[in-house]
Amino acid sequence: MIDPSELSRRRFMQLGLNVGAAAGASMLLPGLVRPARAALPGISEEEAVIAFGHVGPITDEGWTWSHHQGLEAVKAAYPKAKYLEVESIPYSADATRTFRQFVSEGANILFSTSNYGDFFYDVANRAPDTAFLECDGRTLGDNLGWYYVAHWWPTFVVGVAAGALSKTGKLGYVASFPVPSVYSSTNAFLMGARTVNPNATLQAITINSWFDPQAATQAGTALIDNGCDFLFGIMDEAGYLQVAEQRGVWAAMWNTDIRRYGPNAYVSSIIVDFKQYYVEQVKARLEGKWAPAGTILKMGAGVDRDAWGAKVPADVAAKADAVRKDILDGKFNPFTGPIKDSTGAVRVKDGEAVDDAWLYNWDWSIEGVTGVGS
Amino acid sequence: MSYRLQRLPSAHPGIAVLARLVAIVLALVIAGIALAFTGARPLALGVQVISSTFGSSFGLEDLGLLVTPLIFTGLAVALTQRIGIWNIGAEGQFYLGAFFATWLGTSIAGAPLPLMLVALFLAGALGGALWILIPTLARAYADVNELITTLLLNFVATLLVYYVSTGPWRDAKSNMLASTARIRYEVPEFWGIVHWGFPVAVLMALGVAALLAYTRWGYEVRIAGANPQAARYAGMPVRRRIIVVMLLSGAIAGVAGMFEVAGTVHRLQGGISNNFGYLGIMVAVLARGSALAVIPAAAMMAVILNAGIILQTQGITTSTVLAITGLVLFFTAIGDEAAHYRLVRTGAQPA
Repeated sequence: MIDPSELSRRRFMQLGLNVGAAAGASMLLPGLVRPARAALPGISEEEAVIAFGHVGPITDEGWTWSHHQGLEAVKAAYPKAKYLEVESIPYSADATRTFRQFVSEGANILFSTSNYGDFFYDVANRAPDTAFLECDGRTLGDNLGWYYVAHWWPTFVVGVAAGALSKTGKLGYVASFPVPSVYSSTNAFLMGARTVNPNATLQAITINSWFDPQAATQAGTALIDNGCDFLFGIMDEAGYLQVAEQRGVWAAMWNTDIRRYGPNAYVSSIIVDFKQYYVEQVKARLEGKWAPAGTILKMGAGVDRDAWGAKVPADVAAKADAVRKDILDGKFNPFTGPIKDSTGAVRVKDGEAVDDAWLYNWDWSIEGVTGVGS
Repeated sequence: MSYRLQRLPSAHPGIAVLARLVAIVLALVIAGIALAFTGARPLALGVQVISSTFGSSFGLEDLGLLVTPLIFTGLAVALTQRIGIWNIGAEGQFYLGAFFATWLGTSIAGAPLPLMLVALFLAGALGGALWILIPTLARAYADVNELITTLLLNFVATLLVYYVSTGPWRDAKSNMLASTARIRYEVPEFWGIVHWGFPVAVLMALGVAALLAYTRWGYEVRIAGANPQAARYAGMPVRRRIIVVMLLSGAIAGVAGMFEVAGTVHRLQGGISNNFGYLGIMVAVLARGSALAVIPAAAMMAVILNAGIILQTQGITTSTVLAITGLVLFFTAIGDEAAHYRLVRTGAQPA
């Protein structure tokens, strides 16, 4: 139990780690490590308390399930530690209450598997002896770091397949919120498709949730009614895949292999895998070597495309995989200018290649994408 | 000899408290048995909940922060109940209060804090009152059912806040994703993380209770609620009372939104209401429409909600926690109703 009187009111040191500003470094993260003070002291496995706060239910077979697999991997490595896990934490002051409860139960390291922003930082601020890690975060503090996946690379690869598979050239996208992870996803997807079909467009519907199977199903139906014959999205579950299966169009998914919900429609999925990252972070914390850092897991090491769907023609799969190999080999960066925004203005100059740190903060739609924010 | 149940117009206070305690204990016992079947250890969980909630100032601070908006929204609903009206729109009025406070708090820089706090308070109240204005006028002049109008405006308010916080007001510079910039003025904290919204909420509940109990205005509101025909016959301005009560109710819910954004969350975002508007209806029901009883009812609700969070960290799933919360409230409602009955012996027949 933490004595609240010990919780200092230190404000975060402004480390100035806005990744956007740090862009220009090589395409490589983790590299943004600036420990601001001595590492937190180590702790024995028996005494350790490891906490996970999730945005959705762990039975979603998607995002939250993947993070739960990460917890299971940590548990396998450190079976004697105590584990705390809460699912479906809302984006409200309830999140703060949940994180505070973790701290009061003695959490040594606390992962939030979505971006809870101030709800997370407010607690981190007052619990200097707990390591805080925020998925899709962008803030570093003495005891606060973040992590994410470079999903835009495999998304581009799947986009190449979508460009080849879509007959109408109208791609549908079930979006959550107009936030950078969605902008980079829609944009990368359409850029991939346009390498095959330069006239392809992407229409998105924003449903204000990561997990709302009913809204995702409705959005998928509306998109197909609108002429889209390939659905993609950034949902934690398989709702729109079932719609695609029923309506006989293609669909690509996120997080896990969920082809059984739509074996004919399934093209691929942006597969995420946080197991290794979580085990490393916990190991460092237990050994007293943990330092706050921002980490973006790269394609092939935490994020990748799934094995192609049964109905995807071999030549389409081969074409997309050739692009994937070029990216992995470092021969090809698809995110190279000129890139125009939805108003037609050139935002990335001709020949300029942008990197993960830049892509992580992408907050505008490219030409051809409609329906994501303004 | 036979017995029958007799309904009393109002329950004896002692019986009412007893009925509520019995109901809660029964609900917890049933939940405990169900949990034991799933392999959990209900007694250990109970001890954990109690020690986490009341055993440290950490838990009590959480409670203080959680109870604040519940008092406001519960009060907003309880107040309209006194005049026979259901304000189901506290959720929307909460959002509008937060919306107005955010607008003011992010657009003015460098003003002195005390002045701004008063301005934010008024802005929140104004936002809430404006949001209930149309249902109020429709109810007062066209007899349009306020249940529907106030409820439907909730969805409009929610979407409005989602729109501005992910669109025009979205904070592009900071690291927060789907929310506005941090508002420049914060309600100071007076105990741990608990800000001054808490005492203001308590004072407001006391004030409204006094207004209803000791003023001519309050008397007329109560009469108009109990029997509008009689009130009209007695020459009371029922329509004017309805208008003022509804606007005041909206303003109180708006103030809840203002304190949530300026005191607790500091940024406007889609999920900020946390269902406080709807929970306010539950609080008002638990308080049986009494402004004074809103305070303990909100406290009870806060303890239940907070216990839910503690249970979740102990590995009880969200849906189980929701089921337990529902069970407690359900039993409480039954207990409250049961307290209105007493067993009477029907006249003994002569041999």
